Amino acid sequence: MIEVTLQKVFPGFTLDVAWVAGDEVVTLFGPSGAGKSLTLQCLAGLTRPDAARIVVNGRVFDDTAEGVHLPPQARRLGYVFQDYALFPHLSVAENVAFGLRGQPAAERRRRTTEVLAQLGLEEFAARDPRELSGGQQQRVALGRAIAPDPAVLLLDEPLSALDAPLRRQLGGELRSLIVGLRRTVVLVTHDLAEAYQLGDRLVLYEGGRVVQAGPKAEVLGRPASESVARLIGLRNVVRGAVLKASSDRIEIAWRGQTVEAVNSPTAPFIAAPGTPIAFMVRPEHVRLIRKDRASLDPTHHMNFLRGEVVESIDHGTSWTLLFRIAAPGPASQGAYDLEIEVPHLVYEILDIARDRQWDVSMHRGALQVLAGV
Amino acid sequence: MPEAATTALWLSVRVSVLATLADALVGIPLAYLLAKRRFWGRQALDVLVTLPLVLPPTVTGYYLIVLLGRRGWLGGPLYALTGWSLPFTWYAAVVAAAVMALPLLVRPARAAIESVNPDLERAAFVLGRPEWRTALEVTLPLARRGIVAGLVLAFARALGEFGATLMLAGNIPGRTTTVPLAIYTAVSTGEAAEARVLVLVLTTLSCAVVVLASRWGSRL
Repeated sequence: MIEVTLQKVFPGFTLDVAWVAGDEVVTLFGPSGAGKSLTLQCLAGLTRPDAARIVVNGRVFDDTAEGVHLPPQARRLGYVFQDYALFPHLSVAENVAFGLRGQPAAERRRRTTEVLAQLGLEEFAARDPRELSGGQQQRVALGRAIAPDPAVLLLDEPLSALDAPLRRQLGGELRSLIVGLRRTVVLVTHDLAEAYQLGDRLVLYEGGRVVQAGPKAEVLGRPASESVARLIGLRNVVRGAVLKASSDRIEIAWRGQTVEAVNSPTAPFIAAPGTPIAFMVRPEHVRLIRKDRASLDPTHHMNFLRGEVVESIDHGTSWTLLFRIAAPGPASQGAYDLEIEVPHLVYEILDIARDRQWDVSMHRGALQVLAGV
Repeated sequence: MPEAATTALWLSVRVSVLATLADALVGIPLAYLLAKRRFWGRQALDVLVTLPLVLPPTVTGYYLIVLLGRRGWLGGPLYALTGWSLPFTWYAAVVAAAVMALPLLVRPARAAIESVNPDLERAAFVLGRPEWRTALEVTLPLARRGIVAGLVLAFARALGEFGATLMLAGNIPGRTTTVPLAIYTAVSTGEAAEARVLVLVLTTLSCAVVVLASRWGSRL
């Protein structure tokens, strides 16, 4: 359990964040320079915040109002540095044992052996860490951090030093390892895939502030605002204007068409006609209408749009179609209005490579209205 | 080898070893301080340590007399208190050599300490080590090549020290005449044979130090 409230002012940048997390994996995600790594350094006591209250499992690490600021040595947390920061003059086993000082020698040996075994590093115990591969070095860094059994484990960009194929594979291993600790794990990443793969809870950083925090499914499914939707890389975030808003439906004028969305049941977006509004639709929720089926089923085919596939991108198992609505004026997303994702098989059956003119539909429940234009 | 030459050689070795030890005790913490801490007077301290490198040795020797002589700022009270003064003892040769050699240790040692990845030190802090233990267990071991290089340079400089030694310790045969001073005396009194022997000995000794140090250094 961790509670964080932090403020630190620099010329031209202010960090001002607050979030809480239980015994779970929290991912601080955001662009470079958003203040994520700085937060980690403040948690570890390596940087002194201007004002802070940090409480871990009831232990107060920082409380500026009470004049409390524990030095890093007294916090007893684990920190995995971005470049691992393994001691090059010590063996793998000595690195892992480094934080066990003060314990009896026998206990130190037992714990070192245990951690090395847990991470599959027994055969490297006597080796120089610089001789190991990137993935092995990461495990040594992790072993060194968890050996003293810290209350909280901090990881700074844990996978960024590795190359792509290895990153995917080790991401899975890392995830099961840190989940197995049953501790609060705070990790920082600017890589969206990494954030989703490793975390249970997402804390989104932008410009020194937290723009949204919550379980990852919630953040992903219900972005709090247009900027959050863009930050987490959601596609098809577009803007229109309100035509008519009621508590359960909202009609939007967009690219010369009228589209209908379900209004948010918890916090309906009620605004006067003409108010700018952002909404999004997931690319797999835009449906192509087959030309070999005779009549349109209006209950099935809501938000009907006519247009052209201007470009198609092959992803191996699926295709992304860039679709432009047949309407005058500039398209919503540069050269196109919507991204549509179709499985490879559908792409071939419908012969999209040759046939570029299509009608599409979007169920109103698939359109999600976003606050904050 | 004439007896005077042997005496000078042993004196030189003893003075250089002691001066290097003194430099290690003072210079390594000083290099750490200059590398890691921001304090008032840091720049001045840096200049002060470096001065013997750029000043003529006789000028450094003069300042040492002003500081440590019988009527000096420190030497005066010392003489008043104990009746003992430093100049013209073999300790004066150690002090002169140590001061002249100090910048040759401090500068490379400081550069080596500064080049240690600060994340390694932070890692040690997080793992519970206070700063002084981190310095002993992480920073200094990782800066060892630079420190050893500095110690070798300092020893070699101490072995060849002439000007400041002459000013502070004088040239008293059997007491403060180190090898460089003995060579000067031999040449100026026309004892060419003795000068030749001492020059050869000093050259050999200096070469041996450099070779041994580089062999040892490559294993660090």
